Amino acid sequence: MRRIAALLWLAVVCAAVLHVGLSVRHGLPLDSDLMALLPTEKLDGAVRQAEEAINARLSRRLIVLFGAADPALAKEAAEGLENRLREAGLLTPGSDIPDGDAIKRLGAAYFPARAGLLSQDDRRRLAEGHGEDLRDRALGQIFGFGGLGDGRLLARDPFFLFPAFLTGLPLPPSRVRLEEGRPVIEDKGLTWVGVTGMLTGDSTSLSVQKRFAQAFGTPPAGVRILRLGAIFYASAGAGSALALSTAIGGVSLLATALLLLAIFRSARPLLLGLLSIGVGLAVALSACLLVFGTLHVAAQLFGASLIGIAADYSLLYFAQIFSPAADARQRLRQVLAGITLGMATTVIGYLTLALSPFPGLRQVAMFSAVGLVAAYLTVILWFPRLDRLAAKPLAPRLIRAAGAVEAFWRGRGPLLLGLAALAVAAAGYRLLSIDDDVRHQQALAPDLTIQQADVQRLLGWAPSTQFFLVEGADDEQALQREEALAERLRPAVAAGALSGWIAPAGLVPSQARQASDRALVEERLIRPYLPDLSAKLGMPLTAPQAGPPLTLQAVLDSRAIALLPAMLIAPGRHVVLLQDAKDLAATARAADGLAGVRFVDPTGEISAVLAAYRERAVLLMAASLLLMAPLVAWRYGARGTLFVLGPPALAILLTPALLALIGLPFTFFTALGLVLALSIGVDYAVFCAEDGRLAPVTMLGVTLAMSTAVLSFGLLAVSDIEGMRTFGAAMLVAVPLAWAMAPLAALAHKRKR
Amino acid sequence: MKRLLSVLAVLAATAAHAQPQTLAEGQVIRGRFAQERHLQGFANPVKSEGHFLLAAGRGLLWVAEKPFPVTTAITAGGLTQAVGGKQTASFDAQRLPALARLYAAIGGALSGDWGALDADFQVQREGGGIRLLPRRADMTGAAIKSISLKVSRFVDEVEIERPNGDSDHILFTGQSLSDGPLSAEESAALSRDGR
Repeated sequence: MRRIAALLWLAVVCAAVLHVGLSVRHGLPLDSDLMALLPTEKLDGAVRQAEEAINARLSRRLIVLFGAADPALAKEAAEGLENRLREAGLLTPGSDIPDGDAIKRLGAAYFPARAGLLSQDDRRRLAEGHGEDLRDRALGQIFGFGGLGDGRLLARDPFFLFPAFLTGLPLPPSRVRLEEGRPVIEDKGLTWVGVTGMLTGDSTSLSVQKRFAQAFGTPPAGVRILRLGAIFYASAGAGSALALSTAIGGVSLLATALLLLAIFRSARPLLLGLLSIGVGLAVALSACLLVFGTLHVAAQLFGASLIGIAADYSLLYFAQIFSPAADARQRLRQVLAGITLGMATTVIGYLTLALSPFPGLRQVAMFSAVGLVAAYLTVILWFPRLDRLAAKPLAPRLIRAAGAVEAFWRGRGPLLLGLAALAVAAAGYRLLSIDDDVRHQQALAPDLTIQQADVQRLLGWAPSTQFFLVEGADDEQALQREEALAERLRPAVAAGALSGWIAPAGLVPSQARQASDRALVEERLIRPYLPDLSAKLGMPLTAPQAGPPLTLQAVLDSRAIALLPAMLIAPGRHVVLLQDAKDLAATARAADGLAGVRFVDPTGEISAVLAAYRERAVLLMAASLLLMAPLVAWRYGARGTLFVLGPPALAILLTPALLALIGLPFTFFTALGLVLALSIGVDYAVFCAEDGRLAPVTMLGVTLAMSTAVLSFGLLAVSDIEGMRTFGAAMLVAVPLAWAMAPLAALAHKRKR
Repeated sequence: MKRLLSVLAVLAATAAHAQPQTLAEGQVIRGRFAQERHLQGFANPVKSEGHFLLAAGRGLLWVAEKPFPVTTAITAGGLTQAVGGKQTASFDAQRLPALARLYAAIGGALSGDWGALDADFQVQREGGGIRLLPRRADMTGAAIKSISLKVSRFVDEVEIERPNGDSDHILFTGQSLSDGPLSAEESAALSRDGR
């Protein structure tokens, strides 16, 4: 019977491994979009499409500035880098800054439609009835120094409205001149020469990062360098995260292996423990791919940690080699109830995650529950067959230590500990702060942030990641809505909430706006002031000919404004880019009450996702405790339930307070750590409760489990990625707490059944 | 914009060249001008006259009196124009780097540094005159085809030809060099810094 079960299980595992193997061959369908974790009903296709388009543009943008007192030196460095990147096939030219040629094409596209094009300032003056200002400006341009007015232009645009419109276009400026296609800026005695373009390839790809680093090289001596682009962040981030996690992983693996080898004096417990976890991962992956078709990276990572708990079952089992139980069957019998109950409570805990509306958590629940059951089955079905270890005596020192623990828990220890815990909790919770800001959860290289700010200051162009999404029935309606938005943004700029914006309507006014501007010019300028201007100049002047109105397509076809295509997501769906938005709340308010206009803050959205997940995780922890209670009560009775679930619950309640005392905020990642710690803590309590006498071998098993958990998760507390660090810190505090209080559960006497 | 600064550069540089000593900080050239602009497509030239002031280290004031009062002030900060005492145009050098660059050339020229002008123009001497040809198409070339100057002690006459066929002819009279301080009005006009 057992033999058949073991063989059946082998067949299932083989099938799962085969399935995963085949899936991996085609590349695992992993999902890495954080937004995919959002509840389905919160997803908005239009917003996501716009975010992706803007993100694709911003994340591929690359600007490197070389600065030197000697312009030739800076130019040489820029030329060198540009050639190397081009030769490596990593750079396609492209810049937000229009060059002289683009300006000419722009003029050619706009000029025929000039009769309906007015700068904001000129429109205001005409609307306020100050047409004479524009007449005087024309006179000034003709009679003033050097003469700004051009004879041929005077004949076609007597009030020089067209140059005013062109200079008023919200184009990336302006402090920059282009020489041979490269931006050149003079600033504080240095000449900066830039390399601009789009990265070909994905900046998050490690191989692209490697090739890029090779081509990039080091700047020549005496040349300062400023870099802007996602690739630099990604390289720095990946570099440090990779180096550190490799180091942490290595240390943790080595320490765990040494610990287990030292205690068991055999490699078998270690190898079999790894086998059970490996089986758990493979079966879980296969099941998730079958059910969801895809797997989110976050679900996989977190799920894998959750399955890691299965190591506890192996450890509890192998601790039995120090008991008098002679053979494998007996060893299993000793721990079967404990690990079964531990598995059941943990699976209940994980399955509560599936109750949430978040697809991400549902995947985590499925992944970890299946994995845990698989690891459990591996332990109970295979271990007795693979375990060839002879029984060993436990070192007297360990026996004495276990005795001391037992004495502590049977005495006044728990009461004193409880009072101390209450005091700590009272102090800690007053200091507790919550942090959901996604920017705090990842490590941004600080020197790159400074360089980016310098680049943006030098170029005078700093697009924010936030934007407005403007939707209308068609492009015309969207443009009109952007014009309404502009009326709201103007005072926001004056108040300093942001320094500017670029809307498609700022580049191509709506047909309605062009028609009204044409009428305005005719009525308030041409009719009252053209004869006057003619007379003052002593020459006959004619009104500008009304040509066909300007269209979005005509400007797109001119390819003069590199940013425009990126802002047109779909017909009737546009993006308004913001420049240097400092006060997000005030900027967002500009969209209040405007139909079809929405403020989109991608970083803010991710932060909102984190906040929602954090709250959800806390609620689910409470729910999972409630759901575990009936099972625990069935086994230990009502009083016993208190003793079994109390210690882990207390541990996770105390942890945020302790972390707050050392200044760590409560984040989504803290909550994740606590979810994991709760399951682990319940396992320890159940193991202790099942033993009842707190036998030294049980204490050894639980202690080994705690040590390995701290080694594998707690070490993350030294990570330089904030999210990892809070997760690790939560584990580092909560797991030992749960371990220290678990013997309390031995006071729950098993109900006789 | 570019072209008027080029003219300014030339004017300043030539003044410095003609003087035995270089124009020093605080020194001022004052004089009168008469300008004729020949515009393509218009039969009659546009005429204006007035006075100007070039202050080393400060900038240029170009004040047309007839037929309309038009004041143009150019400083390191930018350019402003006022008609009848009311500002009609303003360009910030920050937004137009060409302005800043040419202003730097003027600064160089004012202190007798011909190299500053040399970067943008090819300088040819023809008898009593000087002819300037822009070196590059991107900067001044788009605005100026050539500039011819007649120089005695100061610049007496300037002829500017544009690529589009327009041309300007400027006659200077009554120029004088002084260390004199600027009047409050002149000082105010030059301190607006392109705003």
